[in-house]
Amino acid sequence: MIVVRRLLTGLVVLWAAATAAYLALLAAPGSTVDSIIGDGADTPLIRAQIIQEWGLDRPAVVQYLDYLWRAAQGDLGRSYLLQRPVREVIADQIGPTLTLAVAAALLGALLALTLAVTTRRPWARRVSSTFELVVVSTPPFLIGIVLLSIFSFSLGWFPVSGGQGFASLVLPAVTLALPVAGVLTQVLRDGIDRAMDEPFVVTARARGLGERAVLVRHALRHALLPAVTLTGWLFGILLGGAVIIETVFGRPGLGQVTLQAVNSADMPVVLAVVVFSAFVYVVINTLADLSYLLIDPRLRPAPATPTGA
Amino acid sequence: MRRRSLLIAAVATVLVAGCSGGGGTDSAAAGEPVSGGSLTWAVETEPITLNPHQYAQAKARLLVWNNFEALLTHDDKGGYVPWLASGYEVSPDGLTYTVKLRTGVTFSDGTPFDAAAVKANVDQLRADGYAPQVAAVQLKNLKSVDVVDPATVKYTLTSPDVLILDFLSSPQGAVVSPKSLKEAANLKAGGPDLAGTGPFILDRYTPGQELHYKRNPSYRDRAAYLDEVTYRFLKESSVRVGALTSGQVQVIEGVPATDQAQITGNSALTLSKGLNSGSAYSYYFNVTHAPFDDIRVRQAFRDALDVDTVLNGVYRGTATRAWSVIGPTSPLYDKTLEGTYGNNPARANATLDAAGWTQRDADGFRVKNGKRLTVRLVQSAPFVRDRRDILAQAVQAAVKQSAGIDLHVSVVDQGTATAALEQGEYEVFDNSRADTDAGAALNLLLSSSGAINRLGISDVGVDKLLANGQASGDPAARAEIYRSLQQKVVAEDSLIQPLYAPADQIAASKKVGGLAFEPTAGVPASAYNLWLSK
Repeated sequence: MIVVRRLLTGLVVLWAAATAAYLALLAAPGSTVDSIIGDGADTPLIRAQIIQEWGLDRPAVVQYLDYLWRAAQGDLGRSYLLQRPVREVIADQIGPTLTLAVAAALLGALLALTLAVTTRRPWARRVSSTFELVVVSTPPFLIGIVLLSIFSFSLGWFPVSGGQGFASLVLPAVTLALPVAGVLTQVLRDGIDRAMDEPFVVTARARGLGERAVLVRHALRHALLPAVTLTGWLFGILLGGAVIIETVFGRPGLGQVTLQAVNSADMPVVLAVVVFSAFVYVVINTLADLSYLLIDPRLRPAPATPTGA
Repeated sequence: MRRRSLLIAAVATVLVAGCSGGGGTDSAAAGEPVSGGSLTWAVETEPITLNPHQYAQAKARLLVWNNFEALLTHDDKGGYVPWLASGYEVSPDGLTYTVKLRTGVTFSDGTPFDAAAVKANVDQLRADGYAPQVAAVQLKNLKSVDVVDPATVKYTLTSPDVLILDFLSSPQGAVVSPKSLKEAANLKAGGPDLAGTGPFILDRYTPGQELHYKRNPSYRDRAAYLDEVTYRFLKESSVRVGALTSGQVQVIEGVPATDQAQITGNSALTLSKGLNSGSAYSYYFNVTHAPFDDIRVRQAFRDALDVDTVLNGVYRGTATRAWSVIGPTSPLYDKTLEGTYGNNPARANATLDAAGWTQRDADGFRVKNGKRLTVRLVQSAPFVRDRRDILAQAVQAAVKQSAGIDLHVSVVDQGTATAALEQGEYEVFDNSRADTDAGAALNLLLSSSGAINRLGISDVGVDKLLANGQASGDPAARAEIYRSLQQKVVAEDSLIQPLYAPADQIAASKKVGGLAFEPTAGVPASAYNLWLSK
């Protein structure tokens, strides 16, 4: 039952996202024909051919319903700009972006956990806090260029571009992971600080538990909850960051496609990206909800019938 | 008689080799040409289509001629030389072009190149919804294409049009294997499944990352030196330069003024520049309403502006100033315009006073009848390049300071920009065109029925000059016609403020030989003549 409800909610979210994006593009100045013509030659004859090719003379509502009907059947249409099926455009680019996002998320989380747990001493905490503040407030564009200048252009350890191989993933993933790690570390540290003041920590210490064990087994678990809540935000950062990272590093990916599509009002591609992002949000938030149960036993539903007795 | 017989198949080979020979760069360090090796070239722009018929980006031109060829190509004097053709003849009335084709040429998919293939390409271009911009502009005057025999094609026109030769040498005129035109999965997007006759074969396209070409082993002529060439898309100029200085790529294209010192200061690298063909980057004054309907205000705007100072400020001395709407490398360029107008603030102010803009408001701008002297420039963000937004700010500051003119600059999305242009909500329109024949650009920009006539002019004299220029087959007479036209629109009517001649830059390792710019077009040439010294 819960699964069905989740699925239905998910579908409604997807539909709402597609519709909102459609309306936003409809409300944007200029017509689709204008966007397709770009800065090229513009005559009534050319306009007529474009309108005919894409069926743009139909009322907006008809076009919208037609889009939904096709999308429901898995046909996302053809890109105005690239003249290729949208499904193909997205499929080509989804792999590199997901690889980058997952690598950056894992690296960011790992870095955050390590920093939050190891920098408990006041001086280490000060150094780490400064570092976090710097990486959070530096534009990823700049981080990317600086990393490239040092590790690619000067030292020659990593190639500047390409989706091929592990070496070309390192710098982009680090660039994208640093701001994520910065924010997560601050949230985790704050959570740990609060947890360390709780009575259960005193109890644990009284049981003779070492400081490290108290920190990792008890306090960290409490601190994880707010951090997990941030995963939705994390995905936004990753996708937004990907636009910049992919441009700087010359990596293929959804970010570049999205930027180009938005700039040229390439409606079919924009809609597909929005629906896809909404889909990932739904999945991530569902996973986050489930992981609360894993982290915090208090949130688990009580057993329906008492067993034993 | 205007009969020009150019059956010079024997020398065509040499001339085609010369196709990439113009505007050569210093590659003495690379020594004699050697075969083999693979080269990586970082380019700024990923083409939106790989189908030459759909070509619309001058920045993508360096890719087209790797795997495709056209019937003719440009020499460096504004003329044409045979390429896939072996020669052509024009009938005395200028209505029939008979083109002789090379024989024994095959497309990379194994099908033969012949007259039927050429006709199939034109038929495809005129198919509904395939290439409306080519059909409506370049093929406007084409009546029919006929196969005379397997090695002869006849183009019949409805009215004399010398620009048909420009079409025959343009990317849109490239000949694609008719078999692949039928079978391509995404015809308009192009890609590895479109076959041409060129010296390379496109065998891999990774969107967002790179294009990979391998040598065409059965090319009819000297094979390309390189085994393979990869074009990698790196949008950021500083990243391209870094990739070059660290040896990750051997050639880059697009080196803005701010990065040029890094190249010139490195003894292992070379930098070269080629001026593009077509129209210069210019401001077009909208004469359909106030204030630019008054010629005095147009004159004053140009007098208020010191173009050299503005260009120096923005481009640090790397830009070439334009004096006419036509680029300075075109054979149609009118050199006598140089130094004849502009940079005279005293006269600008006197002219504006005389035109009734005598008051000043609190911000120092001129006012007439309570209305500020404001002119609006709307730039479409996706098409802003060469820091033209920064240049606009520099112009804005200059005309404000010297004459109290309020140039209002807005950088907006494409839709907003097009809407503003449609509704006449602008006074200044900025544009440069990369057409190989400047006449083609002027047809769009100046003709009363022109597709980009943002001046809003409808001038019988201008239309007549454009028509004559398009019909005239004699180069000297043609140049004279366009000279009169430039005198009219630039000097007499002050309709245009030319700013600079767009250019392309190539920076490369000195190990790379054969680098050059394409004659006439002035963009980087294809990889056919490139080699890597060992």
